[in-house]
Amino acid sequence: MASVTIEQVRKQYGAVPVIQDVSIDIDDGEFVTLVGPSGCGKSTLLRMLAGLEDISGGEIRIGGRVVNDIAPKERDIAMVFQSYALYPHMTVAENMGFALKLKGQDKAAIQNRVKEAADILALGPLLDRLPRQLSGGQRQRVAMGRAIVRHPQVFLFDEPLSNLDAKLRVTMRAEIKDLHQRLKTTTVYVTHDQIEAMTMADRIVVMRGGVVEQIGRPLDLYDRPVNTFVATFIGSPAMNLFNGSIVDGRFVTDDGKALPLPPGYSGGAARTYGIRPEHLAIAESGIPVTVGVVEPTGAETHLVVKLGALDTTLVIRDRVDVRPGQSVAIAPDLAKIHLFSAQGARLN
Amino acid sequence: MSDIAISTPQAQMTRTHSAVGSLRIVQTACILVIALVIVSPLFMLLIASLKDDRFQILADMGSFRAFWVSDPTFANFAEVGNFSGELAFGRYLLNSLIILALTVGSGLIVNSMAGFVLAWGSVRGRALILSLVIALYVIPQESIIMPLVIMVSRAGMTDTFAVQIVPWIASPLYIFLFYQFFAQLPKELVEAAQIDGASIFRIYRSIFLPLSLPALATVSILMGIESWNQYLWPILVTQTDYARPIAVAIATFFGQDSIYWDRAMAASVLMMLPILALYLAFQRWFVSSFVGSAVKG
Ligand SMILES: Nc1ncnc2c1ncn2[C@@H]1O[C@H](COP(=O)(O)OP(=O)(O)OP(=O)(O)O)[C@@H](O)[C@H]1O
Ligand SMILES: [Mg+2]
Repeated sequence: MASVTIEQVRKQYGAVPVIQDVSIDIDDGEFVTLVGPSGCGKSTLLRMLAGLEDISGGEIRIGGRVVNDIAPKERDIAMVFQSYALYPHMTVAENMGFALKLKGQDKAAIQNRVKEAADILALGPLLDRLPRQLSGGQRQRVAMGRAIVRHPQVFLFDEPLSNLDAKLRVTMRAEIKDLHQRLKTTTVYVTHDQIEAMTMADRIVVMRGGVVEQIGRPLDLYDRPVNTFVATFIGSPAMNLFNGSIVDGRFVTDDGKALPLPPGYSGGAARTYGIRPEHLAIAESGIPVTVGVVEPTGAETHLVVKLGALDTTLVIRDRVDVRPGQSVAIAPDLAKIHLFSAQGARLN
Repeated sequence: MSDIAISTPQAQMTRTHSAVGSLRIVQTACILVIALVIVSPLFMLLIASLKDDRFQILADMGSFRAFWVSDPTFANFAEVGNFSGELAFGRYLLNSLIILALTVGSGLIVNSMAGFVLAWGSVRGRALILSLVIALYVIPQESIIMPLVIMVSRAGMTDTFAVQIVPWIASPLYIFLFYQFFAQLPKELVEAAQIDGASIFRIYRSIFLPLSLPALATVSILMGIESWNQYLWPILVTQTDYARPIAVAIATFFGQDSIYWDRAMAASVLMMLPILALYLAFQRWFVSSFVGSAVKG
């Protein structure tokens, strides 16, 4: 196990910068997820950690050792690919033991380690099968088995669950997290699924366009996003954002609807007003809106209402009796309001 | 109402069935005729090789007796399969087999390595090398054969096995074939192996070679046929029996005044057998759905 330090790392393909001055400190044993929209450079950063891509600038240290110019096999890392990349002609046991065989370990030692990993992942009955004789979820587990037999310093995962169906994804999510709690190996996990990031990570790194937007614990990111990008990226349904400006102690949207400000807020520069769907409630008196869509999910009800011309989402814990077209009043929880500048940076 | 609704699709189905059926018959008949045309000379050859009397063979040609032998004998084979005597083809057969085995064996290694490095090695000027390889393929063998003859005779290599093997080991066609096969394998396979600690040679040997059985089989068959049928080149570079291949030996045999048809037929059958065996041994690898499971979820 080891800490990982990424310092001012840059990557460019030709003249095109793909990663720009990224710095992340990962503690020994920590589980960090990298999230961001497609093409933001998550895989590239992970592959630089693995040694599969050159580093254009900056420094990467694993366990205090600078690894910029060290080959993948010498970095003591293991990687699980989105496509699993199992060796098709080797059995499950051979797939898992391949790295140990290359290290020159003897047969009995390899067998022990493979068996140990197979026990952890419940792969025992499958050891003699070929990858093509396995289901998607089993292949995924074998890919993890191949990583854990080596007892590496760091696990790297690149969207390991995205080829699985939704139900299996949830199961495997829990399984990976459980595995991490048992093995306590430092883990960097790439995903574009913010729920995966929220539920699994000790800390989340949100990236966009090759730069880090925010690093923090899941709930900190949720409660205090540093900018509008993180605010809308984390959380589902996404945070409601309204553009406008502050007039006479109230926030007035561009089409003239007035929204209340948090008590005691005095900054005048706010240009965007954010409120999460679950922090809006139907109230006796408040902002008048028209109900558009009603989506009962059982546990909660999602409402899409028209606030002026803007679609606004509410998540209500209780069952509500409203119909599309009906006029109601809504009110935000004043303590949960987010205010952002014209550049999108958090103000409160 | 419902009766009609049910019977209509059934009637349609029957009609389609019979249409498909008669098409099948026509197809099968065509294939049979074509197969007959292709197979009958071979069959004739085989039958003739089992007849003892060379004048009878000539007399039987052109009648249905060419396809029938009443008292088959392997005497012809015993004679031509020999290593000594006027008509002993055993030696040439062995020569051809040695040349084939060494050409195909080294050809598989050299061409697949070159293809692998072009596909996955860190090669400067990969595109240039690839276009050179393809350009080389366009040059017909015959056009470089005279300079090549001069080269090998200056080097004192004539009348050896090596001279019939070495020039044909590396081949642009097979390098390109391997390159294409390797290049379509997923990059993650290479990367996973790199992380597992495999050197580039180890990746080639332990992962790519085992996965390329279809390509290896295809190249083996093509190279084998090519080597087996080499004719112009061995004529130019062999003077004695020492390394002469069977294709050349049989041809010179037919040039002689009195032709022993019976033994010539047996020799021709013998010449066909190894290449047929090679094909049968490898053809099941021609189609392989093996690699798909590497990555697909
Ligand atoms: N070999 C390459 N040459 C040029 N540009 C590349 C190369 N590889 C990646 N890129 C670019 O780098 C950027 C980041 O790619 P990367 O694969 O890291 O994205 P990602 O965040 O993993 O996206 P996804 O969620 O879709 O996997 C993309 O804009 C991509 O086009
Ligand atoms: Mg990616």
